[in-house]
Amino acid sequence: MRKKLEGNGLWESSRMMLPEHKAAIIDNNEALKRRARTVLDEQEWEAVSRSVAESLQLRLPITLRMFHPLEELTIIGIVDRVDSMRGRFMIDGEWFEVKNIEGVTTSD
Amino acid sequence: MPRQRVVMLADCQSFYASVEKAEHPEYKDLPLVVAGDPERRSGIILAACPIAKKFGVTTAERLGDSLSKCPDLVIVKPRMKLYIDTSMRITQIYESFTDLVEPYSIDEQFLDVTGSLHLYGPPEKLAELIQARIQAETGINTRFGIAENKILAKTACDNYAKKNESGLYTLTKDSLEETLWTLPVGKMFMVGNRMTAHFNAMGLTTIGHIARTPLDKLKAMMRRKFGKNSDINAELYWRIASGIDDSPVTPGTHQVAPTTVGHMMTLPRDYGTLADIKVVLLELVELVCQRCRSKGYMGHVVSVGCMGADYDRPSGFNRQMKMEDPTNITNQVYRAAVTLLQRHWDGLPVRKVGVSLSQFSSDDGYQLSLFDLHREKSIALERTTDAIKQKYGDASIMRAVSITPSGQAQDRSAKIGGHYK
Repeated sequence: MRKKLEGNGLWESSRMMLPEHKAAIIDNNEALKRRARTVLDEQEWEAVSRSVAESLQLRLPITLRMFHPLEELTIIGIVDRVDSMRGRFMIDGEWFEVKNIEGVTTSD
Repeated sequence: MPRQRVVMLADCQSFYASVEKAEHPEYKDLPLVVAGDPERRSGIILAACPIAKKFGVTTAERLGDSLSKCPDLVIVKPRMKLYIDTSMRITQIYESFTDLVEPYSIDEQFLDVTGSLHLYGPPEKLAELIQARIQAETGINTRFGIAENKILAKTACDNYAKKNESGLYTLTKDSLEETLWTLPVGKMFMVGNRMTAHFNAMGLTTIGHIARTPLDKLKAMMRRKFGKNSDINAELYWRIASGIDDSPVTPGTHQVAPTTVGHMMTLPRDYGTLADIKVVLLELVELVCQRCRSKGYMGHVVSVGCMGADYDRPSGFNRQMKMEDPTNITNQVYRAAVTLLQRHWDGLPVRKVGVSLSQFSSDDGYQLSLFDLHREKSIALERTTDAIKQKYGDASIMRAVSITPSGQAQDRSAKIGGHYK
């Protein structure tokens, strides 16, 4: 009962929403959060491949920005292996896809 | 002191009827109503356009009554999906003016425009701009109540903006004395017929009377009338009358996890036998469980409600029980629901049945049962039927009982809120 007097309680307890309408709003908000893939140009790809190679050969930690449909995803670590046949690379024992790379920063 | 907020409540005039008029330009100058199907007892006026209202047609009356007032009435079947989509399009238009938009119902939304005013000038100007844009893009007329908080915005819209030529009204706190407080209590938000009668009996006939009564006195008055648990309601009414409301316009308000999932339906005819009622009960349980499964919940408490068919002699029940373990498997919930039905149904014909599930826990772990050896199998089966329904629609696969005369699943799958999609 007390809830009616707090926060948005008065309005949450009195509103009339069709469940289908509510679901549509929630779906819509989810869809808005979805991000599109960034396309890298040649120079950016060159920077990425140089950093990855450097990290692999000189054991330098790098930070890669990766594509994720909903989240902000970065991986930090040293590249252990590169599997160019299958387009993937390994950081800390976990495989990632090369095509998901969206950017790179090297920490010196 | 924080800057004073500017909140608007935007309301769409005769929403369903206006959407239909925008879709059918040929009916522009004719009286039009959106009405349910008289055959299935949903034959009431859901919305009447302003022209139809001039003939005395009102919302929620029977179709026959409206036709006798206005024989040339254009009657349109509801298309709920379209109304939801239009409502969302309107939300998007509001969102291009401010990010703080909270849908309150299908045709009413709150907007907090405090942070946008430096771009658009005074609130009335902005409201006019939004109004013109909605009109141009959807053909719907909107009305705006403008005030410093949600309750005053709502009040301004309901009592003044809807009756204005411009459809705009700004209600300020220092003008309450001459405006809101002179209105009868029945005009107050959250006060219905019953409460109006109660307040009148207490000698409070205008909204001003409530606002001017000291809160402690009002609490005491209500306690005398309704018992000791009425303090919160007393405070609620007092705040509404005084225009006190600090609730924020909350865009994410619908994003919360539900505490109950339930479905209810009014039957097309009265059901008088246990076998008949059990069929719809199963269908409702199936819908409830399906929704729980899609969200990954298991419910522990089932509740079943039935409303008797006779309006003059109200009968029926609404009871709940705790199941042994949380579950979202249709057959398990159904078993409990039938137990409730058998225990509490008085044998009189029923016109409305509802089922809901509450006290949720997540369905990624469950209690193993010694006696229920088919659980894995039922889960796999229901996962499959859910997937089929998701892909091909709710009517694509159903239980055999649903094609008996008492089954409603087929009809219900074509509806939203009891009216056609």
